[in-house]
Amino acid sequence: MKLPLKSYDTNQQIFFAAHYMHHWWNPWNVKWFTGFSQTTYPPLPQQWTALLGHIFGLQYGYMLVQFVAIALLAVGMYRYAGIWVNERAASYASLAVVLLGSESFLVYNAGQLATTWEAALYVLALPFLYEWLRYGGWRPLIKAVVLFAAAGSAHDVIVIFGTAFFTFPLIALAIMERNEGDEKTTSGAVIARAVAIAIATAVAIAVVILPYWIALFRYPVTQAPIPHASRANFLLTPFWGMNYFIVPWGALMLALPFIIWRGAHNRRLLPLMLGFWVCFLVGLGGTTPVALWLFRRAFYVLTFERFTYYAEILSLPILGLLMSELVARFRMKAVVPLAVLGAITCGLPIAWANYQPTNSINLRVGPVAQWLNRGGHDNYRYFTLGFGNNISRLGVETDAESVDGEWYSDRRLPELMKFGGGSLDNSKYFHPGGMEALQAMLRHADRYGLKWIFVHDPWYDPALHFAGWRLVDQIDYGAVQVWSKEGVPPAHPMVFGVEPTHWQDMMWGILPVGNSILALLLFLIPDKRRLVRTGEDTGATDEPLVHERLAS
Amino acid sequence: MSLSRWFLLAASALVACPLLLAQRPSMHLPQQVVAGSAFSISTGGSGQGTLTIVGPGQALRRSVQLGSPVSIPAGVLYNAGDYVVILANGSDEQAGLIEVTPAQQPARLSFLAEPSRLPVDLQNGISGTVYVFDIYRNLIVSPMPVSFNLSDSLGPAQTRTVTTRNGVAWTRMNSAAKEGSARFVASVAGVASTRVIDEVPGDPCNLSMTAVPDKGGEAKLQTAPVRDCSGNPIPDGTVVTFTASFNGMQSTVDVPLKRDIAEVELPLPSGASVSVASGVVAGNEIHWRGQ
Amino acid sequence: MKGTFLAIAVAAATVILIAVGTIWPIPSAVYFAGSGNGNILRSPSTPEIAIQNLGIRIRQHQLPAAYKSLANKAEFTQLAFDEDIDGFYTSLRTQATLETVSAQPLHESADQADVRVTFHWSTVLGPYNETRNIHVVRNGNNWQVDWPLVTRPSVPPQVIPVNYLRWDVIYSGARDEWGSQNVAGPNVRIVDMRPVNRAEGVYVLGELLNDDVVPAWVDVRATLVGKDGRILGSEDSFEMISHRLLPKQVTPFRIHFPDVDLSQVASIRMHPESILISASADPVIAILNQKYSALPTASLSGQLSDQSGQIVNFTHVLTTFYDANGNVIWVSGRFIGRALAPQVPVNFTVPVPEDLAQKIRSERTIVAAYSPKGVAL
Repeated sequence: MKLPLKSYDTNQQIFFAAHYMHHWWNPWNVKWFTGFSQTTYPPLPQQWTALLGHIFGLQYGYMLVQFVAIALLAVGMYRYAGIWVNERAASYASLAVVLLGSESFLVYNAGQLATTWEAALYVLALPFLYEWLRYGGWRPLIKAVVLFAAAGSAHDVIVIFGTAFFTFPLIALAIMERNEGDEKTTSGAVIARAVAIAIATAVAIAVVILPYWIALFRYPVTQAPIPHASRANFLLTPFWGMNYFIVPWGALMLALPFIIWRGAHNRRLLPLMLGFWVCFLVGLGGTTPVALWLFRRAFYVLTFERFTYYAEILSLPILGLLMSELVARFRMKAVVPLAVLGAITCGLPIAWANYQPTNSINLRVGPVAQWLNRGGHDNYRYFTLGFGNNISRLGVETDAESVDGEWYSDRRLPELMKFGGGSLDNSKYFHPGGMEALQAMLRHADRYGLKWIFVHDPWYDPALHFAGWRLVDQIDYGAVQVWSKEGVPPAHPMVFGVEPTHWQDMMWGILPVGNSILALLLFLIPDKRRLVRTGEDTGATDEPLVHERLAS
Repeated sequence: MSLSRWFLLAASALVACPLLLAQRPSMHLPQQVVAGSAFSISTGGSGQGTLTIVGPGQALRRSVQLGSPVSIPAGVLYNAGDYVVILANGSDEQAGLIEVTPAQQPARLSFLAEPSRLPVDLQNGISGTVYVFDIYRNLIVSPMPVSFNLSDSLGPAQTRTVTTRNGVAWTRMNSAAKEGSARFVASVAGVASTRVIDEVPGDPCNLSMTAVPDKGGEAKLQTAPVRDCSGNPIPDGTVVTFTASFNGMQSTVDVPLKRDIAEVELPLPSGASVSVASGVVAGNEIHWRGQ
Repeated sequence: MKGTFLAIAVAAATVILIAVGTIWPIPSAVYFAGSGNGNILRSPSTPEIAIQNLGIRIRQHQLPAAYKSLANKAEFTQLAFDEDIDGFYTSLRTQATLETVSAQPLHESADQADVRVTFHWSTVLGPYNETRNIHVVRNGNNWQVDWPLVTRPSVPPQVIPVNYLRWDVIYSGARDEWGSQNVAGPNVRIVDMRPVNRAEGVYVLGELLNDDVVPAWVDVRATLVGKDGRILGSEDSFEMISHRLLPKQVTPFRIHFPDVDLSQVASIRMHPESILISASADPVIAILNQKYSALPTASLSGQLSDQSGQIVNFTHVLTTFYDANGNVIWVSGRFIGRALAPQVPVNFTVPVPEDLAQKIRSERTIVAAYSPKGVAL
């Protein structure tokens, strides 16, 4: 039942949500890095988790928000696939999306709530984008822009780095079909509309999460790159190939030749196939040089499992086509294998998460939080070693401030930025940068009022001993050791970077959630056109869309 | 006179009547009260009033019958200091001050003895500071004689008597020539407090060693029992450093004393010179001739 | 027809791009593929490649594959090789990750070569280098490494009597009355101190004595005050000190102030800190055969010998260097990669800056040791 809570980023998402729960109007969070701004992370899913957390508690709130993302993606996929293939194939694509391996990977393994939300909202917006490109009109324009802005307020990667894979095929399709149907248009008009909506979307996203852009432009990513295994070559490192290719793709790999073949042979599907293909190559991370060529410096900041997710979403319309054809031809003989393959694809990441758990450190953080919260211990700062992603849970439960944290994009402490390690907590996995960062932080403990280090991994003991730290207490029957340094002055407020201004706090509290509610309301207004292709055709031919006008 | 003026006059008389009937409250306060003792406050006037007493760390309020004395039982006002007393009746009130003084009988001492450990034979090395409190933890500021007594198991006791000033008395004592635990006692008016001072040996004195070949052919370096200049054995665990030099090479080893002696076995070439030291105290030097 | 061609082109392009990414991997792929040198496993056609391949396998901790690649694997077991790489007991070496391998050819013929190989390890206590002369032999078209195995030191079975000496401390409770007696902290004293100006900043060097009869946990903090009274910096000795001092023990200390020039400094405030701790007098470690050599590389070398019966897992050698007048001119230290087994000497080398090499006339070395409780030896 609580499997999603075991995924890697879940605790961090809940940590952010917990802050919004208690300080909705103040995104400055002092619990990590002596203070950082949560405006450096688009807030929508965490804010919804916080709102629902008041009713259901943070854990169930988180899972409910994750569930909504999956449900929205299914709805969005039905409408998006309907642009490319017939209604039956679109419905199969919609069904397949909930069994998608990378979706399952993100939910159960990576815990990337923000990615699943951005994708769901983005896919919801795409049919309105196509309608605007093809036919114009204010209604689809406004709906698309508001939904794109909502997607941007959930996460920024898809709107910055992933948008080309989704929108270029739609622009190409709109141009290809400009003369078909009753309402004809021109290539110039399509391009002009594309430019117009790009500008409108950019403005909308800029406004909705303006504090985010202010923070980004004020502090562009300058810290040393942190290694991430999704940038590995999956052939040279088969383990990561398993983790980032085999597991997320699952049985969908079997359909890859069909997707290429069908996309290459069908003029309408060609742009989609090409968009899928490039995204697929990017999702391979360091296996090909494509991602590096495309993203340059950003390559070392991005992680690429999300591009696999995008690629799978892009593949689904053609996969839906394959499924509908197989079912139409073989009936139950196709249904059963497809269902089995779907279950395997969905189940593989869950099984993999159990076989190679990302959150395998079994630790009770409650006693550590209690220790910190009593006797004035929280007058000093702390960090942990060997806690894994439990540091976010500890951050939720304690009042004390840490010099460490899991949100690397807004850490401004020189000791953490300089060496290219991840968090101090897992510094041993980032040789040599992680160890250098740890040494630097130990060296400068006095500056930060850093008096406590909670150790769950004796591997670090020699470093603490020789740096002048002493073992002073044990918590939870020795599961956690408390190391301390003498002569450290109490922590005093330190601001690295700039706190958001009051008006930014207000914007951050109102616009993202407000825009998402507006997006939902607009989405519920019936469409003038129904873009899903009807009829029993296989969708493999080049016939135009059938526009079914609805009373509205 | 118009009707309205008659009305105003009647209304004013009606309102003023009770005020004229009630007398302003008054009280008579004792100037000084000993902490924790009972006392009474006589009040004047009539009707009900409210007595409020506010002082250091304490505040109390009571309803009183004006004209009757108010008894404050023992143990109610116990913090020494100035208290403000306010007797109020409606909008009228009278205020006064009471000084609560500490009880003169000492009940407890805070005795700060520093250090808890010091070398033997150190003049004025021990300081003792006493704060004298009454039973309610009020510092007794009136002068009182405090007796300091430092005694060890062998030597004669050192005794000083110091009169407190503003509740504090302090003195300095010498550490004994013999190591051991000394009892440092401060007493005043039958109340005493005891601290234990560890008088420990000083730096090693006349540090010396010998070297003999052991069974394996190595040099066995051994100090004589290490003592300070007063003849006290240096505590076990104290580090003694042996340094052997030969032909530009050097070997060192830090050895803790065990049963007054430090010993170690080192592979030494013939002709090596060996020295011994402990802290900043150097000992003898010998030349190793091998077998 | 066009569609078929396009599908084949897409598939071919995919294969080509994957091949390009695999044959000429990008830096992030190389990082995860196991080599900090920017290389991945290649056919061992030269002695250097054979050594680099071995380094990659060690870095990835593929020790069975590394063992299989050796020319002389028949001479020892896989276990012996694993122990040589990982350390025989818990030590800095067991917690190290090989970062890079640098090779310097010494001699090469058609069939064999001698290479001086430096293994650059990254450890919990910072970088640590180990140099070995390795013989490489040609086997057909490939080169294979003749691994110079370091075997587990064998200690003859024996009983080493230890009069277990230990201090334990009971402090007064936090709820005790004000003024109640507590155990006083140890008296420590700075017996020598000297600031030194160097290109990398100001160093404050000195020695600290535990002048008490109880063990102490010590640290030294220095604060540099500028000529205008401004604080230029405040740093502590960090790892360049032996934090645990037994009675009458002396430790050197070195405090570094980067980006400060001594000409800016008007005064230095020294703050020795000490806490009474529970401690044991063991182990006793002898520092044997210390020899300072100014050439070719200025360093102090010697051997550590554990005189007690327990294994010492982590050791830090700290040396004070003095000039002809007996002034402290440098303090240097080096962590030892391997654990000290009883009575088995382990070599050490403490580096000295070249510009000080000729000024050094004497030195004094101590060893700081740490063995975690309950460690699996």
